[in-house]
Amino acid sequence: MFDMEQWIEFAKGPLFAFAFLIMILGLARLIIIQAYSLITGKGRRLMNAPWRKIFKDALTWVIPVRHLIPGTKFFSIVSFLFHIGIIIAPLFLADHIVLWEGFFKVGLPSIGYFLADFLTLFTIACIFILLGFRFLSGRHRSMSTPMDYTLLVLIFLPFATGFLASHPSINPFPWDVMLLIHLLSAELLFVIIPFTKLAHIVLFAFDRISAIHWQLRPGAGDEVAKALYGEEAKV
Amino acid sequence: MDGEILQTPQKPATAVSKKQPFYYIEDYNTENRIERFLEAFAAVLKYSDYRPLLDSYCTSNAKCNRCAVTCPVYLATGDPRDIPCYRTNILLNIYRRYFTIGGWLNSRISNGFELTEDVIDDMLEVFYRCTACRRCTRECPMGVDHGLITRLGRYVLSLIGIVPKALQVSVREQLEGETHNTSKVPKVALLNTLEFLSEEIEETLGVKMEFPVDKPNREYVFFCAVSDYLMEPETLMGNAAVLYASGDWDKWTIGTSNYDGINYGLFYSDWHLENIIKQLVSEVTRLKGRTLLIGECGHASRSAHDFVPMFAGKETYPVVNFMEYTLDCIRKGKIKLDPDVITERVTYHDPCNIARSGWIVEQPREILKSFVKNFVDMTPNGQNNFCCGGGGGLVSIDEIHDFRMNIGGRVKAEQLIQTGADICIAPCANCKKQLKELVEHYKIPCKVMGLHDLILKAIYVPGGKSPKERQEMAAVYEM
Repeated sequence: MFDMEQWIEFAKGPLFAFAFLIMILGLARLIIIQAYSLITGKGRRLMNAPWRKIFKDALTWVIPVRHLIPGTKFFSIVSFLFHIGIIIAPLFLADHIVLWEGFFKVGLPSIGYFLADFLTLFTIACIFILLGFRFLSGRHRSMSTPMDYTLLVLIFLPFATGFLASHPSINPFPWDVMLLIHLLSAELLFVIIPFTKLAHIVLFAFDRISAIHWQLRPGAGDEVAKALYGEEAKV
Repeated sequence: MDGEILQTPQKPATAVSKKQPFYYIEDYNTENRIERFLEAFAAVLKYSDYRPLLDSYCTSNAKCNRCAVTCPVYLATGDPRDIPCYRTNILLNIYRRYFTIGGWLNSRISNGFELTEDVIDDMLEVFYRCTACRRCTRECPMGVDHGLITRLGRYVLSLIGIVPKALQVSVREQLEGETHNTSKVPKVALLNTLEFLSEEIEETLGVKMEFPVDKPNREYVFFCAVSDYLMEPETLMGNAAVLYASGDWDKWTIGTSNYDGINYGLFYSDWHLENIIKQLVSEVTRLKGRTLLIGECGHASRSAHDFVPMFAGKETYPVVNFMEYTLDCIRKGKIKLDPDVITERVTYHDPCNIARSGWIVEQPREILKSFVKNFVDMTPNGQNNFCCGGGGGLVSIDEIHDFRMNIGGRVKAEQLIQTGADICIAPCANCKKQLKELVEHYKIPCKVMGLHDLILKAIYVPGGKSPKERQEMAAVYEM
């Protein structure tokens, strides 16, 4: 039987590599399928799309102040800050940087423990607020499926366990158990990213190009009508 | 698997639900609606190329709900069924369940989504509660194009016979009828109307203008919403005045084989969209024209501008909206407008099809500001403007008048009241009709008209009465 230390080493090593690989391959698959079907399906019509407008619109979402519209300001701000938290905190935390260096041989700057702690707690607060919206606001509840709640909880887990593991003084559970749960929950997230709505980290780029999909295929309408109703298809 | 149905529903199609949609549908085959819907969807997926977009939306749609507060229909009802994302998700659920392996697997594991008669009933209602204005798309962080999905949903429904009768009858006449236009205006009636317009112009402006009909080799071939010939004579007189004053009178013509710019295919069918565009193009080719000049109509302009280059092949022609033409004339000094005759407070309604989904936002404002002293914009405006509530073909469906007034157009009415304007310019046949009805319904003291109706009052026509004289004359008539 492995002891706890070996489990942690396993989770940090091969399991991490495996989960990360699934994520990368899964996301790459989505990008390749999209790019392939766009190029083969749309072909030359891709050139006719209003690319400038598409990029300009996309840029307004980098810092989406122009999209703070009445009725959804608080939700939008929380949602934006939540995204900042889940990108910056895990990527630039000192303990993670060691991991990145080990695997990818890249050195990232550290944001320091104080800021990392702040961002972590901040992100957790955002998660609670977003969950609150899904539970309490009728409008959000009516659109929410079990998966929408589950994903927020799954994102909450690595943040909460990571925070507890790095603060032994307030952690009521054994340190090594926390660390293991932290690793496993983060790896679970990596694995499910390509298969859930979290895939929007790459697919947002393809969602945004609906202007290309207004470039309809000439002759398709007639072919559809013919396939369903024959040559004599009538309006 | 391209276009194949992965799994047909196992349950036999139940009897059609008793619920009637809120618009009239012609008698259609109500047997096996579920199977037929899936067959039609499969055919669309096979021959068109919507798959990558649907794949992307299916996986990544975050359901953040921001779109709700952008939608004038949801803002008026607060009903979750009117949330754009809700509507989009119905079609995405069907796509995921029946046309993707993941969705099929998921349905094997869990008791997931099934297409039922109730879902079809839901779709035929919600897809026509949407005005396809695409305001939600601008505020979707993912950029999900709910307007495009609504259109696709309507397209598939139309292939099994579910389409508002008002739209279907019009398109049938336009594509298969004798008159080739949506209002069934025969050539004789067109010629009579043009003669009437000519007399009216002579009376108002003091200049005789013979409308050019079927003249070959002209620069512009003019298409407006055919309903304008019956309902908006002043817009057409304004158009004519600009063409006359600019000295381009011998550069344009109206064709008598096809004179209708309306294209309801833009709202519900790729099939009709393409064939109507081809009709327009063949008329320009017949007359050896060089440019399509589209009158004041939002969706006619957008459909011609976007789809003529797509469907016309090598026979393609440039498309110009009349407001662009007029602005060009003003900038070049070819026409002159009197800045003293319009004293009323004027506002401008941006038709969704040319503002948000098009390219015309600043042009009409530049025209208006050149001769209107008291111009006030709506809030919000431009690409962010609210739909009039009659978009997506809804304005042509008379039986949903209550819906358009109390739900679809409510936000617009409030917006209009806030401007305190005496005149609202709506350069679109659809918007104009809807706004006129709204103004009447809410008793708003505001006159709705086209941009060229206003230009008609202020334009200097060579050899004719001056705008001031015409204004005094009109004042005498009103007394």
